Amino acid sequence: MTYPDPLRRTLAVARAEWTHNRRDARSLGIIVLLPIVLLVLYGYAINFDLRELTFAVQDWDRSEASADLVDTMVRSDYFTLHALVEDTREIERLVERGEVRFALIIMPGFGDDIASGRTGRVQVLLDGADSTTAGVALGYMEAVVRSHSVDLVRRWVKRSGLPASAAAPALGVEPRVLYNPELKSVNFIVPGLIAVIMMMLAALLTSGCIVREREAGSFEGLAASPIAPMEIMLGKLAPYAAIAIFDAVLCVAAGRLIFGVAPRGDLGALLATSTVYLIASLAIGLLISSVARTHQVATLVAFLATMLPTMLLTGFVFPIRSMPVVLQYIAQVFPATHFLIIIRAIYLKGVGLGLFVREALLLALIALVLVVAASKAFRKSLE
Amino acid sequence: MTEAPAVVVEDLTKRFGDFVAVDHISFAIGRGEVFGFLGPNGAGKSTTIRMLSGLLLPSDGRATVAGLDAAREAESLRRRIGYMPQLFSLYPDLTTRENLDFYGGLYGLSDRDIERRTDELVAVIDLGRVVDQLTGTLATGWRQRAALACAIIHQPSIVFLDEPTSGVDQAARRQFWDLIGDLAAAGTTVLVTTHLMGEAERCDRLGMIDRGRLIALDTPRALLDTLSGTVFVAEAEPPLQAVELLAGQDFVRDTALSGARVRVRVARGLKDPEGVLADALVAGGISAGPVRPARPSLEDVFVALVGDAGEGDEA
Repeated sequence: MTYPDPLRRTLAVARAEWTHNRRDARSLGIIVLLPIVLLVLYGYAINFDLRELTFAVQDWDRSEASADLVDTMVRSDYFTLHALVEDTREIERLVERGEVRFALIIMPGFGDDIASGRTGRVQVLLDGADSTTAGVALGYMEAVVRSHSVDLVRRWVKRSGLPASAAAPALGVEPRVLYNPELKSVNFIVPGLIAVIMMMLAALLTSGCIVREREAGSFEGLAASPIAPMEIMLGKLAPYAAIAIFDAVLCVAAGRLIFGVAPRGDLGALLATSTVYLIASLAIGLLISSVARTHQVATLVAFLATMLPTMLLTGFVFPIRSMPVVLQYIAQVFPATHFLIIIRAIYLKGVGLGLFVREALLLALIALVLVVAASKAFRKSLE
Repeated sequence: MTEAPAVVVEDLTKRFGDFVAVDHISFAIGRGEVFGFLGPNGAGKSTTIRMLSGLLLPSDGRATVAGLDAAREAESLRRRIGYMPQLFSLYPDLTTRENLDFYGGLYGLSDRDIERRTDELVAVIDLGRVVDQLTGTLATGWRQRAALACAIIHQPSIVFLDEPTSGVDQAARRQFWDLIGDLAAAGTTVLVTTHLMGEAERCDRLGMIDRGRLIALDTPRALLDTLSGTVFVAEAEPPLQAVELLAGQDFVRDTALSGARVRVRVARGLKDPEGVLADALVAGGISAGPVRPARPSLEDVFVALVGDAGEGDEA
């Protein structure tokens, strides 16, 4: 085959990098084992399905209806009744100490309201410090209360003889749980984890490729050859792009096999956005590799710079909307923030690219900025 | 020489902040010449080579290599030169053959050309035994030969070799210099740096460099001739006292113990040096054999140039 020189040079770099990874046990471990280990570890460890959701009840009403509601909640299997309390301050204390996840406060007249077809009011006191658990608890509770409410309405219709259309909802909540009807957090966690793992892996993979050569002295021979900086960069990135896409597929397959969570939406859109996301992640690694003085520092920085913000600031665990405003703006900078929305939408809502064009464009923009920054830093490191 | 020289260096200077690594050096290297750069570590040899390869921009002056300006035409220059850096620069986890493939690719050689050149180089450099071994597992002598093969895979007309024999044993070093001789015989211009005075004698011409300055430039023969008649040896008993005694004489520039013999370099122009030295030894109560003239070494020349300049401060 005869190729033009720039392609020959780029291929030479890509081939050497590929062979290096093939022979390096550590690289192979990172490529094959790390994604699986992380997925399993975090998939099981970060379990938002809290079977033991303890709660306390303060019942002002002490009616048959209020006892019935509490009974329904306990029977639901999700909640464990921790205490029946009399004192409002006692309730606050229990929540504060984390002894209960939430408290149910049944207002006076609750039973009368329901009996006369009005809406019975229930207050819920949640531990906002753990917003995730609180959200899950609330979601579960709403689901339980809703089904109880339907029961109550049915009974009221029967007793009063009036048409069901005349009935107000028995309990003042209208739970609407979209997209994740099983309320299983694993459906939510797995796609998020895939995003986190892909970001971290891609950055880890490329974080060594420049600094390693500078440390070893092999860069000198490369720099003295006619190869252009862009050719070195593309040659270095190409094998890692292939590896990263392989890892993405591996993660998706593992999510399906281990957790039974599969994307329901457009796979083509998932692959396309994943590729853009991976390019951004690879660029972060290359940027670090160009600036770092030693391979060890590069690895550490790549790990911290991707893992921490991706876990904490992108909506993976903590919803962005419940962050302070400043952090909400900062969150927009991370590629994972936008990719998380896309991958969750594809996994959970089963939609295609059309519904998240804005996120996809922002992701592409961030990727572009990172690639430009990485190539600038890389050029500079050659001087 | 009728052809244009392969390398022309004029007032080449490199400053790193206040430190002058290379200080206004000028020289020219003819085609097919083996030109040696001799000097201690840190004298500025590598910095000069890196400027000639277009890897560093000079602070001042200019270098023309293969008719191209090293600073402004670095791109085209790099195709025509081969550069073997001081630090081992091949990939240790690739075999010699894979490294050759890599460098062949960098210089845009076709697969068939790479194969042909690899066969040639394996024959010429005698790499048959190590061509499919990981270069990281090779002994230093073999590594350097593999690195040389990679540096010349694209058949450059000019080759820069930076300390190619450092850390290489005596026998392998001699073989390496035979290869340099072969390259030059085939018309390649070779610029080689070394801090080993012994091997420098194999160069056609030598530039001696110290603290960034070119302090001498000539054939090894001519450089050695500048010291003819100034170096002597004598059997002396006890030798250590003889060395101390002679070092204290004002006409003595340099003394050294060489086995049981005393080696002395005296000031140029000293009359009847043998007689003067013998008298001094006798006067000091040392029983000495006859004082005989000895062949100066390039080390003597270097020390003479640096030390006799009378600047006092030790490098």
